[in-house]
Amino acid sequence: MAVTALYMHVPFCAQKCRYCDFDSRSFAPCDLSAALDAYFEQLYARLDAFGDAGALAQIRTVYVGGGTPSLAGERLVELARRISAWCKPVEFTCEANPESLTAELATALAEVGVTRVSLGVQTLDNAELAAIGRIHDADRALAAITTVKDAGLDVSCDLMCGLPGQTAVSWQRTLDGVLAAAPHHVSVYPLTLEEGTPLYRMACHDESLEPDEDFQAACMDAARECLGAAGYHPYEVASYALDGHECDHNIAYWTGQGYLGLGRSAAGMLDAEDFDRLAGLFPDVPARGDAYRVRLVQRDDAAMTFDAEYLSQREAAAEDLMLACRMTRGIGPDLLVRSASVIAADELAAACDRALELGLATWVPDYVEGHAGCVASKDVIAGRAHARLAPTHLGWLDGNVLFELFWGLA
Amino acid sequence: MYRSGKIVRMNTSIDISHIRNFSIVAHIDHGKSTISDRILELTHTVDERDMESQLLDTMDIERERGITIKSNAVRVSYDADDGETYQFNLIDTPGHVDFTYEVSRSLAACEGAVLVVDATQGVEAQTVSNATLAMNANLDIVPAINKIDLPSAHPDEVKTEIEDDLAIPADDAVCVSGKTGEGIHDLLESIVFLISPPKGDANAPLKALILDSYFDEYRGVVATVRVFDGSIKKGDTLLMMQAKGDFLVDGVGVKRPAETPVDALTVGEVGYVVTGLKDPEAVRVGDTLTWASNPCPEPLPGYREAKPMVYTGLFPIDNKDYENLRDALDKLHVNDPSLVWEPETSVALGFGFRVGFLGLLHMEVVKERLEREFNLDLIATSPSVDYHVYKTDGDMIDVRSPQDLPEATRIERIEEPYLKAKIICPPEYTGAVMQLAIEHRGITTDMIHLTSKSVEMRFDMPLAELILDFFDQLKSRTKGYASLDYEFNEYRPSELVKLDILLSGDEVDALSFIVHKDKAYGLARGLCDKLKEIIPRQLFEVPIQGAIGNKIIARSTVKARRKDVLAKCYGGDISRKRKLLEKQKEGKKRMKAIGSVEVPQEAFMAILKVDE
Repeated sequence: MAVTALYMHVPFCAQKCRYCDFDSRSFAPCDLSAALDAYFEQLYARLDAFGDAGALAQIRTVYVGGGTPSLAGERLVELARRISAWCKPVEFTCEANPESLTAELATALAEVGVTRVSLGVQTLDNAELAAIGRIHDADRALAAITTVKDAGLDVSCDLMCGLPGQTAVSWQRTLDGVLAAAPHHVSVYPLTLEEGTPLYRMACHDESLEPDEDFQAACMDAARECLGAAGYHPYEVASYALDGHECDHNIAYWTGQGYLGLGRSAAGMLDAEDFDRLAGLFPDVPARGDAYRVRLVQRDDAAMTFDAEYLSQREAAAEDLMLACRMTRGIGPDLLVRSASVIAADELAAACDRALELGLATWVPDYVEGHAGCVASKDVIAGRAHARLAPTHLGWLDGNVLFELFWGLA
Repeated sequence: MYRSGKIVRMNTSIDISHIRNFSIVAHIDHGKSTISDRILELTHTVDERDMESQLLDTMDIERERGITIKSNAVRVSYDADDGETYQFNLIDTPGHVDFTYEVSRSLAACEGAVLVVDATQGVEAQTVSNATLAMNANLDIVPAINKIDLPSAHPDEVKTEIEDDLAIPADDAVCVSGKTGEGIHDLLESIVFLISPPKGDANAPLKALILDSYFDEYRGVVATVRVFDGSIKKGDTLLMMQAKGDFLVDGVGVKRPAETPVDALTVGEVGYVVTGLKDPEAVRVGDTLTWASNPCPEPLPGYREAKPMVYTGLFPIDNKDYENLRDALDKLHVNDPSLVWEPETSVALGFGFRVGFLGLLHMEVVKERLEREFNLDLIATSPSVDYHVYKTDGDMIDVRSPQDLPEATRIERIEEPYLKAKIICPPEYTGAVMQLAIEHRGITTDMIHLTSKSVEMRFDMPLAELILDFFDQLKSRTKGYASLDYEFNEYRPSELVKLDILLSGDEVDALSFIVHKDKAYGLARGLCDKLKEIIPRQLFEVPIQGAIGNKIIARSTVKARRKDVLAKCYGGDISRKRKLLEKQKEGKKRMKAIGSVEVPQEAFMAILKVDE
């Protein structure tokens, strides 16, 4: 099966945010340009190598993330142009921060095949923005949304809850403000303190910075209600979209489809067949043996070293089940039936039953015209009944328990 | 481990006037171990290259916690300035109330004590309590002011403190530095001149005290002994006067600190006796050894069998470890004969054992050794004493576990063990100590002013009150200045009830506790609050209730965990996310699922952490 999703990483930022533990470097402006030039040259070369290997022809979705890809300016346009030379993606997302996304850049990106911009808005409260080390303000963020839309692109906004100083009232103002700007897609993330980040260190001295999980849950509930009322349906733990504007690229991650990852710290996932075909592009990675799935992370700019993780068929199946639980539609009957060829049906049924017993998931008829009513896990697994095991409200907010249940089958 | 000393003297027949038996006592961190180490070094008992700090504490737990649990005796030879060679027996003593009995045995084997006081800190709490113990044992005391190398040392003031606070003459106090070795020579000379040689009759029938014993797979029980009269040599047949058994001596020797065989242990000496006995319980600490053929008329006084005072359930977290736990207890029992146990079954925890201990520190030490040396994960349940329950049908049963308590309607009365407790502390703390005793159902029976600096108080007190946090509370309320000693008194009727704990409406037998009815409400509230802190938030709200019979008397609630989800999970996050879940799962393995509630190990000991 050919790979249809491509991720490219741009690990540069004007300034690192206080909560961020992603791979990204910040440079003084005078050095940034040279560093970006050098990095992009290697990224182009890497892209061409995959193109030459025939790995890009079937690409349907592209996502350029960071870091702050918009910081690269013209180089990002050039990257998009080069990608478009290899494939014709139906969805092409670039991440951007409000301060570095100009109207010119948006227009230029639209011209070379980009379809969607994901904006790091985070909050519309200036004090909250400052507290997490963002360098834009609310007005700039709202202007950026308009800029993207004016360029004819889809826009998605990232929002965060549980920020220092954030209240239920300020969160509601952020939601209202973003909705007024009418993006196509919204992602809502509760802040997590990652070890090693400045915010983590600050929270060690000041407990008030530590996100309150009850408050975050309330924020997530408020977002679900408010966004839902405005026509944004939740399709994943953190993702909301107007009909037809879901991010197909991200959905690939949660549905066990393979993807390529190019650039330092970019992650890829390949099935055995694709890996065997592309193994030459991962010079120091050991043979996969009888592994069914390979996860790869590029470790350096030059794409000479990689981390590789090998999953057995059973692990891959458990991983798919776990990831499916992130989606609002849950685990579909096809995935359950397929998993039963790798994981014993009674183990699988026990995990489903446990999820039901704990109130984390519920059976939902898989067809619109399907009849509701009692469904037995074993019947769905055996293919005798068609229903999806969808997370409940509890299974959404306490998803880790649900995920653990299915990853536990590995 | 250490190798044998450089100088091995086979000639052990030394004149009794040249023997000095002593122990070193000090407040924690005042330098007892470094001084012991320096003495071993200066007398060439241990080569410098073999030096390892805390030589006398051989168990891992002793070194880590800096405490001494087992007694130990090391012999050193000292060539004094008077041209004579002296034999020093340095006897190390445990320092906790659980092991008071071992302390008193160890001190009974000494004629003197070196009292170490930190030159920068002066007299502190344990200095007072240890000095009191030593003085009560009529020991000659050599004060040693340590750490004089430090700039902040003020030895003259410390001397005044020793005289004023302890009523010990300090003119002869020796100033030393365990670190540089300065003054250690003077200390050794002082030991020669200030500590009396042992008294005893070399020609009288053997009278020797067993200070300690341990089990050796090849040689059987090896006992550490102090000879008061007569002598012991290989081939003697000895009688244990309390245990009433006899054995043929397989060998005798001394520790230097490695075991070194000698021809005989003669009057006044300390050393070990290889008994060849394969039953660890055959030899009891505190028993008197004598010749089987020509016994002494009276055993040494003060023999007390080490009896378990407190019982707790020990359960493997993984039920598959039950047999391993049994084997581990068997093995540990070999060098800790005071351990007793019987199988116990809990609805909540499965199969385990009810184990008897000398006290809670003993329990902690045993649990830690079981977990560490035998690689087990254990849950210990609330401690209990041995209650005498008189049933309406006329039977009396021993109840050591709350689960075994019959229904209230079938109980005529319950009696609990009472102690005679003796507390010595400075006069300014008598009020605080009395208050503490009253809170623990203690009744003051006597109060004597020993010196202007110390008062002795005697109480009658239920053992059950003492086993929980009494000792820690005593130490904290008297800033460490109080010392505690106790002995069993008698069983007395008490109004006791069983307090049950319910999680999510289901009674958890392993959390039940027997308590005096007047304290039940306070304890139930405290326990519910403490469990609320200990039990992590879960998917569902977990109501915690305290109940006596069917009556709920306290409650608290662990709120449901509202959010437990990693919201951001894209291509690069998936591996990390899985590892996080695995770590979470690993954490849950350390918990016990009771119904649908995940309960951490420490919840079963929450009773010890309740602030009343």
